[in-house]
Amino acid sequence: MSSDAESFLDVSDLEPPEPLVRALARIGALKEGQYLRMRHRREPCLLYPNLEQRGFTHLTRTSGSGFDVFIWRKDDSAAEQAACAAADESLGG
Amino acid sequence: MNPAALSLEQTPPLSVPMRFFLTAPLFVVAAAAVMLWYGPVVLSSRWMPSLLAVTHFVTLGFLAMIMIGAVQQLLPILMASPVPRPQLTSRAIHLLLTTGTLLLGTGMLTGRAGLFIPAMVSLGAGLLIFIVVVAYCLIHARSSHATVSAMALAITGLAVTSGIGLVLAGGYGLAFFQLPRYLTDLHLVWGLLGWVGLLVIGIAYQVVPMFQLTSNYPAVVMRWLPRGLFLALLLWSVAQLFPASYYWLELPGGAGLAAGYVSFAVITLLLQQRRRRQVSDVSVNYWRLALVSLLLAMVLWGVDGLTTLQHAELLFGVLLVLGFSMSVVSGMLYKIVPFLVWLHLNNHMQAAGRWGEKIPNMKQILPELHSRWQFWLQFAALLLMLGAVLWPLLTRPAAACLLVAFALLWWNLLEGVRVYLRYVRAV
Repeated sequence: MSSDAESFLDVSDLEPPEPLVRALARIGALKEGQYLRMRHRREPCLLYPNLEQRGFTHLTRTSGSGFDVFIWRKDDSAAEQAACAAADESLGG
Repeated sequence: MNPAALSLEQTPPLSVPMRFFLTAPLFVVAAAAVMLWYGPVVLSSRWMPSLLAVTHFVTLGFLAMIMIGAVQQLLPILMASPVPRPQLTSRAIHLLLTTGTLLLGTGMLTGRAGLFIPAMVSLGAGLLIFIVVVAYCLIHARSSHATVSAMALAITGLAVTSGIGLVLAGGYGLAFFQLPRYLTDLHLVWGLLGWVGLLVIGIAYQVVPMFQLTSNYPAVVMRWLPRGLFLALLLWSVAQLFPASYYWLELPGGAGLAAGYVSFAVITLLLQQRRRRQVSDVSVNYWRLALVSLLLAMVLWGVDGLTTLQHAELLFGVLLVLGFSMSVVSGMLYKIVPFLVWLHLNNHMQAAGRWGEKIPNMKQILPELHSRWQFWLQFAALLLMLGAVLWPLLTRPAAACLLVAFALLWWNLLEGVRVYLRYVRAV
């Protein structure tokens, strides 16, 4: 996993809707080839349709007692590759 | 929860829950005004007509009103099972519940038998629509969360409470019908420990971990506690209905209810004690006040206080209604209302394609200072009301405090809606 490609955000200690607000703010600043890895204690169901509407897509993996959500722009294939590799790695780990 | 099934489009319009939330505090203001008018006589016996009116303004006009509004909002969000025709359904239930409660309370206050029949029709129709709609949604729920079964049991509790209530109202409204007073204890216990209690437990399973950043309730508790409580309630009820043959069921039934609710209170307090961020929060304060009240009410229940201790019945009622149920409801409102306002504003901005625009956060929608003041007023009203049971001279100060507390709650909720309207109009 390339650390440059990953932008990490831990929202486990935030109450709704702050995790969603921070995630949406952060994806707006993603550069070409970059994806967001968001760590949350619950599955952020309300986030998904918001991502869809803004042209982003995601992969969700369970992580310890919570979830890791990998988010990237739909048309950014480099970010997609990096996110999928990181998601697979998190499964293996 | 099936996340794929959850979409923003399933969120009912803000007006669906808010029409219930903005009506409910006004019924408590009305109840407090009745207490102010009648004074200490209200609390002189549990059978006083003015106390019956006050109780029903609070339980139907406030508790049922809020819970019915909240359930219509929670079904689509938590269970991906939206209410069919949400606007029409909520308007019909709201109109029937509001009219029926006003007629019932006025009938109790004035003793005019003619008011009970339209009250029964209105309340019966409103509650029946709600029960059928929720049953339909629960059957179609795309979730196997413990909240679904707890909610199903709570709705059964509401059906039993309403059924007994209609029979009791018939005793007031129909000349040929003898009022079966022995059903009153069943009515109030099914209402408070069946409908309200089980619904609070089912909703707590979701909102306590979500909003108060606690761990989840233990799986075994989530699965078995509501079922155990429901079974205990059935056993206790059989003992009440057939005392000659089944009096011995009162002990396991009553002890089971007390043990179940004490467990719920202790587990929730422990979860809150170990929450991830120990920040001061009005909603958590409300929950703690509610759970301590529930524990005290269960102590009274456990020592058989309802029949042996003077004033115990009224203390039990005040602890369970004002202390537990109304505190939980206020605490939930302070999370649910700003969250819903935020959610609908976010949806609105999305639909308008204005993603970059700032929308107010939860604390801007419902300022912490206003809710904190409201909490202390409601807490003072509870203490004064408990005092008024023992020292009737405190009745009017307690009523005045209750009136101000719920007028302020109403104002705070209205402020949230105003924030929403201001932003929507600007777009």
